[in-house]
Formats: sequence, structure tokens, C-alpha cells
Amino acid sequence: MATTTPTTPTATPAPAHEHGHEAHGRELLHHFESAQQQKETATLGMWIFLVTEIMLFGGIFMAYIVYRWAFPDVWAEAAHHLNTPLGAVNTVVLLVSSLTVALAVNAAEEGNRRRLLTMLGITLLLGATFLVIKGYEYSEKFAHCAGAANPVAWVTGGARLGESECLVPGRNFIFPEAHGAEGAEAGHGTADSYAQPQAGLGSPYQLFYFLYFVATGLHAVHMVIGLTIVSILTFIAWRGVITPTYYTPIEVGGLYWHLIDIIWVFLFPLFYLVH
Amino acid sequence: MAKTSTSAGHGAHGDGAHSEHAAHAHISRGTYYRVFAALMVLMALTVGAWWIEGIVALPRLLGVAIAMAIAIAKTTLIVLYFMHVKVSERATQLYAAAAFIGFAIMVIITMGDYFARGWPPPPGPLP
Repeated sequence: MATTTPTTPTATPAPAHEHGHEAHGRELLHHFESAQQQKETATLGMWIFLVTEIMLFGGIFMAYIVYRWAFPDVWAEAAHHLNTPLGAVNTVVLLVSSLTVALAVNAAEEGNRRRLLTMLGITLLLGATFLVIKGYEYSEKFAHCAGAANPVAWVTGGARLGESECLVPGRNFIFPEAHGAEGAEAGHGTADSYAQPQAGLGSPYQLFYFLYFVATGLHAVHMVIGLTIVSILTFIAWRGVITPTYYTPIEVGGLYWHLIDIIWVFLFPLFYLVH
Repeated sequence: MAKTSTSAGHGAHGDGAHSEHAAHAHISRGTYYRVFAALMVLMALTVGAWWIEGIVALPRLLGVAIAMAIAIAKTTLIVLYFMHVKVSERATQLYAAAAFIGFAIMVIITMGDYFARGWPPPPGPLP
């Protein structure tokens, strides 16, 4: 009765693949002529997706340009309250991670599985470091809204913030007065109309922080997705799927990671380095 | 700058059918390290320029122009070398350029419209 061999069902749907797999890996799909063509197609597809990503962030950058052009003094005042040293450290962290991703692609190309896994591992660590630093910056802002001096004091109920400040956009937004003196000194006359601290939705400084949280928040979401992708790449590299003839996942995943880096390259000077 | 080398052929079929220019080329590790060093120098420059602008009063527009020029230089290095666009297919290069040209078109048309309507608005509370 059971005379059908296990090979029979699989032999029928794939007659086109009878040419054997010696010349390339198993992963070459039958509608591509070569592994090279398949990789180029995947790369082009990824770039088409990256174009849509740039337009997604482009909308935020567009809003930024419109409002900074109109209210340069508000920008100069508001940016003082961001943590520039931490922003600079995060920029370096991301640039190093871009290097490790580029080296991971190189290792995959050369078939060096050990170096590939090391580079992907370092990338994961750097990506996590970025998110931890970013998370600290965010929690600092939220801690100030809660009246605590820093995130640790917020949790432990320690030191309170001397002057009320809340830079998270919303009903409770309060821009501190302390920098008024500095602003008036550099003032161009027009700055005075913005200089009075205003609580709540009426404060012009809220515009800067609204864009800051939206832009860096969307970037952080991309970092989380990027970390997930690199984790999957690490797993398949560990399983031995990646070979010198088939390293498209590393190449394409790397493109996504570099794009996140490019977005941050612009976010850093636009939010942290404002005068 | 990029050392290109052609890798061994990819088997019987398809070779040379579409790889007219350096399709098998790759960027060497040495180039990656040099690009990274350049990125670090540019990073130091952008923070240094910001620090100097805090001491010496430069026109605000000049400060923004310096920061953006450095950011664009960094992006160019990342796109060309880390993202391999320098040694990619023509179609890929076209899409990479299209992304940035598309964004530039959006900025030019939007700002043109704003300026035609009297942007920036007169000082005072937000409209």
C-alpha cells in the first residue's frame, strides 16, 4: 500500500530546480538568474523602503524647518535644557555601531562566521546602550515634571527639584524662568515677547519639545525595530544560514541600521546643538 | 579610495549578464576604518563648532549652515561606503539619490509656499 517514497511529493512541484545547487546556495530562487542578481534585487527593494522611511522622517524635519525659521529665539532658549553631553555620547555610540554593522557585512562576505557573530553582538550592545542613554534623558524630563531632581530621586523619593519645570508637552508644561536672564542678554528685542515663562498649552517653548519628543521617539521606535532585526540576524548567522554566496539578510538589515544612524546624525545637531 | 576587487565567478549561469560595472566589487575593511575615522573627526568638528559659537557671536544662519554641512558630509560617507552605494547597481544609486532629492523637493515647495504667505510671522504669541 504505502509504496510512495517520501521524495515523490517534493519532486513534482520543483522540476525547474533540477539543475542542481553546486553553483550556488540552496537559497537561490528559481526566478533569479544568479545569486548576484537576487542580492541586487533585494538591495533595490530595501532602498525603495528606505525612501519611504526618509519621507516619514522628512515630514517631521519639514515641520522643524518651518517653525525654527519662524521662532529662532524660542529654539535657542528651549534647546538649553537638553542634555548635550549625553546626546554627543549617543551620536558616537551610533556611529561606532554603524562601523560594526559594516564590518559584519564584510565578515559575512568573507565567510568568517566568528567575526560576523562578534560584530553583530557588539552592534546589539551598542544599540542597547543608545536606548538606555535615551531612556535616561527621557526619564529626566518626566522626573522634573513629577517634581523630582533626577530619575533616581523620582523613584526613591529623594531630592526635589528647586524650581518647577516640566518640559514634557501637555497641560502641565512649564518652561523654567532661570534662563530668562541669559536670553535677555543675547536678546534681539523680539525675544522679549517669548521670554515670559508660560505654563500649559500657551507656552511657545512647547513647540520645540513637541518636535523633540516626536522625532527622537520615532527614532527610538526604529532603534527597537533595528535591535530586533539584528537579533534575528545574529540567530540565523549562529544557525549557519549566512554564507559567502548568501549574505543578503546581513546586507539588507545593515542598510536599515545605517538609515537609523543617518536620521540621528541630523537629529543631534538640530536638537542638541542650537544657539 | 575604495579598493575594489572582483570576486570569483558565481557559477555557470548569469555571469556577466547584468554586472557590467563592478557589480561584484566590495569595499575593503581598511576603507571602513578610514571612513569611521572621518566620521569621528566630523563629529568632533560639529560639537567644536557649536562650542565656539557659544563664545564667539556668529550669525545664527552660519551656525546652522555649518552644522548641516557637516551632517550632510557624514551622511554622504555613510551612504557611499557603509551602505555600499558607491559599488551598487545603477538602479540602487538612483533610488538612494531619489530619497534625498524627494525630500529637497518637499522642502523647496513647502518653504516657497510659506514665504509667499509672509512667513516668518510677525513677533508675538503663536498664531
